[in-house]
Amino acid sequence: MTMPFELTIGLLGLGALVLLIGLRVPIAFGMVLVGGAGVSILNGPGIFMSQLKDLTYVQFSIYDVSVIPMFVLMGNIASRSGLSQELFRAANAWLGWARGGVAMSAIVACAGFGAVCGSSLATASTMGKVALPELRKYNYDPSLATGTLAAGGVLGILIPPSVVLVIYAIIVEANIVTMFMAAFVPGIIAVFLFLLTIFIYVRIFPESGPARDPIGRSQFWAATWGVLPVLAIFGCVIGGIFFGVFNPTPAAAVGVFLVALYAILRGRIGTEGLKRAGLDTAKTSGMIYLILLGAEMLKIFMSRGGVPQAIAEIMGTSGLEPMTILVLLLLGLILLGCLMDSLSMILLAIPFFWPVLVELDFGMGIEDLKIWFGILALIVVELGLITPPVGMNVFVISAMAKDVPMMKIFAGVIPFFLAEIFRVILILMFPALVLWLPGILSG
Amino acid sequence: MMIKNTFDRFGGLLKLPIRFLRLWALLGCCVLGIVVIMATGSSIAGFLIAKPFPGDFEMTEMGVAVAAFMFLPYCQLTFAHVSADIFTSRASLSVIRSLNRMGSLMALAFSLLLVWRMYQGLLDYQIYLETTTILQIPIWYAFVPAVLSLLLWSFASLITLIYPEGTLGSPITEVLKTDDDAV
Repeated sequence: MTMPFELTIGLLGLGALVLLIGLRVPIAFGMVLVGGAGVSILNGPGIFMSQLKDLTYVQFSIYDVSVIPMFVLMGNIASRSGLSQELFRAANAWLGWARGGVAMSAIVACAGFGAVCGSSLATASTMGKVALPELRKYNYDPSLATGTLAAGGVLGILIPPSVVLVIYAIIVEANIVTMFMAAFVPGIIAVFLFLLTIFIYVRIFPESGPARDPIGRSQFWAATWGVLPVLAIFGCVIGGIFFGVFNPTPAAAVGVFLVALYAILRGRIGTEGLKRAGLDTAKTSGMIYLILLGAEMLKIFMSRGGVPQAIAEIMGTSGLEPMTILVLLLLGLILLGCLMDSLSMILLAIPFFWPVLVELDFGMGIEDLKIWFGILALIVVELGLITPPVGMNVFVISAMAKDVPMMKIFAGVIPFFLAEIFRVILILMFPALVLWLPGILSG
Repeated sequence: MMIKNTFDRFGGLLKLPIRFLRLWALLGCCVLGIVVIMATGSSIAGFLIAKPFPGDFEMTEMGVAVAAFMFLPYCQLTFAHVSADIFTSRASLSVIRSLNRMGSLMALAFSLLLVWRMYQGLLDYQIYLETTTILQIPIWYAFVPAVLSLLLWSFASLITLIYPEGTLGSPITEVLKTDDDAV
C-alpha cells in the first residue's frame, strides 16, 4: 500500500515539529514554521502568501479569544493586590481549628483564588507566599505544607475563569459557557478530595499537621467580612455567565473592572503595580496569541495532509474498545504533560485526538463527548505541573521554601496526585458528573 | 577585550530602544484597558436599560487584536515564548545559547515576512474598503498599529539575536530587571 503524497508530507511535518520542539525552539515558532512550510508545499506558496495578508489579524480578532487577555489581566491584578490574603484568612478562620486545618484552608483559598485567576502557576505562587509562612508557624510537616501548595495550584484550571478551558473550547468548537458549567462539579469534587486527602494524611501522621490556636469571635467575623467583596466579584462574573446575563468576554471585562476598582479603592495597588500587572499580561497574552496563530497554521497543514483522519482510521480499525482508546489518549496526555506546558499541549494534541474520539461510540452525542473529554483532558494535562521532570508548580513552591529538598515536595504531592487519578476514574465511570449541570442550566 | 568594550557601548545604545518597546507594550495595555472599560459600560447599559452600546463586540475584537499585536515585541524581549526542555536539560550553556539564537532568527524571519504580507493586506483592505458591519469602522485602521508592532517585533528579535536569554550584562536584563520581581 502506498501512502498518498499529502499524508507523507504531513507525517514528515509532524516529525520536523517534534525535532524543532526538542531543540528548544519556542513551540509557537515551530508550529508557524512547520505549518507555513507544509501549507506552501501542499497548496503552493502563492496561496499561503495571500493567506498571510490577513490570517494573523483574523486569528487575533476572534471574539471568543478576546476573553483570554482579560482573564489574564484580572488574574494579574488580583495577584498583585493581595486578594489571596483575604481568601486565606477567611478559610483559615473557618477551617484552621481542625487538625491539618491550615493546609485545608490553603486548599480552599487556592480554589477561591482560581476563581479570579486562570493560571495554576500564579495561583501556586501567590497562595504560596501567603500560606507558607502560616504553615511553618504551626510546624506543619514540610512535605505536607509544600505538597499542598503545589497541588492546590492545579485546582484553578477547572474553576472559571480558566484560560486553558477557553482554548480547548475554541479548538473543538464547543460552547465556552457550557464548558464552564461542566467544569463546576468536577472542580468542587477536586476541592473535596484534596480536603479528604489532608484529613486522611493527618490521621496517619498526627504530628504532620497540628491545629492552630483558637481565634476570637471578632477575628472570625473580621476575616469573614473581609472576604465578602472577593466573593461578590466572583459571584458577579461566574453567576453572570452561568445565568446568561452576559457572554464570557463582557463578563471578564466586568471582572477586570471590579477587581481593579476594589484593589485601587482599598489602596492595594498603585500605578507601579498596575504597570507590572499590565506587562505580565502583555507577556502571557502575546505568548498565547502567537501559539494560537501557530496552531491554526499547523491545523490548516495537517488537515490538508490528512494526518488526523489517518490516525483516526488506524485507531478505529484497531479493534480496541472505545474506553481503552480513551484511556490510552489520556495516558498520552499525562506523559506529554511531563514535558510541556498544558496550553501548548492542548493546542498540539487535541487536534489529533479529537478526530479519533468522534469516530468512537461512547453512547453519547458529539456535544456531550466534547464536554466530557474536555474536562478529562484538562484535568490530566495539569498533572504535569506536579510531576517530575518539569513540575512547574513544584519549582515555584521550591523557590519559596529553599530549605525543603525538591524530593520532599514531590513526595508531599503524591497523595494529591493519587486523589487526582481517583477523580479522573470517577469522571470516566460517571460522565453525568460533568454533564449534569450544563443539562440543567441550559435546559 | 576590545570586542567586549564595543559590545558594552553598543548595549548601552540599546537601552533607550528597549525602554521604548516596553512603553509600546504598556500602550497596548492601555488599549486593552479602554476595551475593558467600554465592554463594562456596555454590559451595565445592557443590564440596566437593555441597551448595550451598538457594535460593542466589534470594538472588543478590534481593540484586543491591536493590543495583542502591540504585545509581541515585548514578548520577544522577555523570552516569553514557551519552549519544552526535552533533550536539552543537560546541554551546555553555549549550546543552549545557540539554540536560542536560532529561535530569534526564526522570529526575525517570520516577523519580516508578516510585515511585508500584512502591509499588502493593509493596502488591499484600503482599496476594497472593508468595514465592520455595525459601526462601519474601516478594518485597515487596525492594520496600521499591527504592522508597526510587527516591525518593532523584528527589531526586538534582532536584539535577542545579539543577546540571547541569560547573557550577562545584556542591556535587556539591565533595563527590564525591575519588571518581574514577583512571578
